[in-house]
Amino acid sequence: MGTLSIEALSFSYPGRDEAVLDQVTLAMPAGGIFGLLGPNGAGKTTLIALVAGQLRSAAGRIVLGGEPLERARRTRPDFLGIVPQEYAFYPMLSCRENLRFFGGVQGLGGPRLKERIDAVAAFARIEGVLARRAGQLSGGLKRRLNLAIGLLTEPQVLLLDEPTVGVDPQSRAFLLDSIRALARADRVIVYTSHYMEDVQALCDRVAIIDRGRVLVSGTMSEVLQDGAGLLTLRLRAPLPPGLAAEWRSRYALHEDGETRYRLSISAAAEIAPVIDAARAAGCEPLAISYGQRDLEQLFMQLTDRSLRE
Amino acid sequence: MRRLLALWKKEWLALARDVHGLAVLFLMPAAFIVIMSLTLSDAFKGDRGPQTEFAVLSPDPTLADRFASSLSGEGFRAVAAPAGETAARESVRNGKPPLALLVPGGFARALAAPPSGTDVPELVLLVDPTLPPMQLLAFQQRALGVALELRVAEMVRRAGGTAGAVPDLKRAATLSVETVGNPGARRPSSVQQNVPAWLIFGMFFVVMPISSLFIVERRDGTLARLVAHGVPFSMLLLGKVGPFFAVNLAQAALMLAAGRVLVPWLGGEALALPARWDLLAAVAACTSFAAIGWGLLVAASARTLEQATVIGGVGNILVAAVGGIMVPRFVMPQAMQTLADFSPMAWALDGFHAVILRQGAAADIAAPCAKLLALAIVLLALALAIHHRRRVLGPAQ
Repeated sequence: MGTLSIEALSFSYPGRDEAVLDQVTLAMPAGGIFGLLGPNGAGKTTLIALVAGQLRSAAGRIVLGGEPLERARRTRPDFLGIVPQEYAFYPMLSCRENLRFFGGVQGLGGPRLKERIDAVAAFARIEGVLARRAGQLSGGLKRRLNLAIGLLTEPQVLLLDEPTVGVDPQSRAFLLDSIRALARADRVIVYTSHYMEDVQALCDRVAIIDRGRVLVSGTMSEVLQDGAGLLTLRLRAPLPPGLAAEWRSRYALHEDGETRYRLSISAAAEIAPVIDAARAAGCEPLAISYGQRDLEQLFMQLTDRSLRE
Repeated sequence: MRRLLALWKKEWLALARDVHGLAVLFLMPAAFIVIMSLTLSDAFKGDRGPQTEFAVLSPDPTLADRFASSLSGEGFRAVAAPAGETAARESVRNGKPPLALLVPGGFARALAAPPSGTDVPELVLLVDPTLPPMQLLAFQQRALGVALELRVAEMVRRAGGTAGAVPDLKRAATLSVETVGNPGARRPSSVQQNVPAWLIFGMFFVVMPISSLFIVERRDGTLARLVAHGVPFSMLLLGKVGPFFAVNLAQAALMLAAGRVLVPWLGGEALALPARWDLLAAVAACTSFAAIGWGLLVAASARTLEQATVIGGVGNILVAAVGGIMVPRFVMPQAMQTLADFSPMAWALDGFHAVILRQGAAADIAAPCAKLLALAIVLLALALAIHHRRRVLGPAQ
């Protein structure tokens, strides 16, 4: 089991001129978690749908460990698991009936099916609600059932499309821990989310796509590396206007919010005077980073701030 | 096979918990049967339809013409007589024409004989069992009236234009009625007429649960998930056929039971069951396949539940109205009757009538069953083609 490689993939929906994906090339190695980011309409869901086999007729290739994905799909239909952002199960069925059904359509049966249901229920901690109708579960439990269904066949490729959307912080933390535990040497995990901090904390590789093109791709540390000497400060209070004007002229100050600032510093030696000046102005720094952006900054920088459809 | 079994089981469970869908499938047609059978029971005893065709057979062409011209008009129209009594029976059995009057040889001589009071000449009327009783009654009276007219004319002629002995005008002739094909030669009751019609109507309503379940699957991403798991779209459709076929057969059993038990319990007549259960099952099966095919097409083509409700529900009602489910075809104008030939519900109705009312053989249901099966195949192919053309499984893409 090697890398899931997407090679020069292009796709347009029938009847539409513009390409949703345009020569997308990505390498998603096994063993880690690959974060796929992009604003709404960037092409993420289309890319996931092509990998999942829900869409066809794309130009380019998708290869898993050297084997074309379509061949793998034909010979080993259980190699892929998907956890969509929708609650993709039957609300009128119980959790156990849902697990049995999705296991059955993937070719599981008998003791093996029972064993896998027990295993994924334990993993997602839904053993206590297996007899309850899925539609009656809380949002967090629904997300966990959604995840459990995706894990029934111990898939080699796991596609997680916004798996934590709409849940409370406790359930979200549990889901993130669970997903982290799923990473293993023979498994490719692709994770999409709009929660940048989740992606930054969870993924070891990331790609940002927009308007069907890959804007950046690499390991998390690579893409967050900032060669422009960017100093990011989060202060206890907003800068006084005088100091803000001075920094604006000297360090190309950029304000991300009322108390969050980015400055272009040419030499590390300038950091200490800047921090001292902030303290003197009554703006105690709460967080300082230099030479590295956070994922949200990078995302906004690459995709611009305009609102999307 | 394991996949298909899993799909069938899921469909069963989903359907069994869809209370509203089940109510539409089972309670609605049962209610229609009871209500329509009871409310139309009087109408079926005294109804009259426009332009009902009849034929007159007699060895005496002049007498046959006389009967034909006197009986024509006010809703009855004479057509060319079949070659003989056997051909006439076969024609009436097929409902074309629904009435054939057999005037025996020597009928004119018998009319000329002095009235004896008990020994009167006999006419035989062959009747299609689907003919409403009111039309039959009207035709009977007219036929007896023509016989009486002939006898009075003969008497006046013999009396040299003067009044003679006054004959018993009410007993100029007797008329025996024979219902061709019906068990015990009994006339079909309103329940006999209503059960097939509303059963078909109910069976076609599987379009609602099929399409709504399918659209919810597409909307909620379960369909996309199943495709990602390598389940072919054709198998997803097959997964719907098995359970809903069983539902349709259960509907048929329940509707027959309603006609047999519920309607008489409420004061109506009981449904007379056909002798050939195998043919009844064959017609029900073919009707079911057509109904399921229609459901799958709506499921594949409608994008929202609202669309499916409108296309499926309104489509069913239109096809039912055109197909003689709500209004018998014989009361429709000729153009509408021609249009009815294109309604799948009319084909199904022909099949059920052939079995339940006419006690027909396999040959009698071959044509309607073939049409229904062909339609099912076409609808299924269209559903697959629409899916293939879209290649998009959910609104998110």
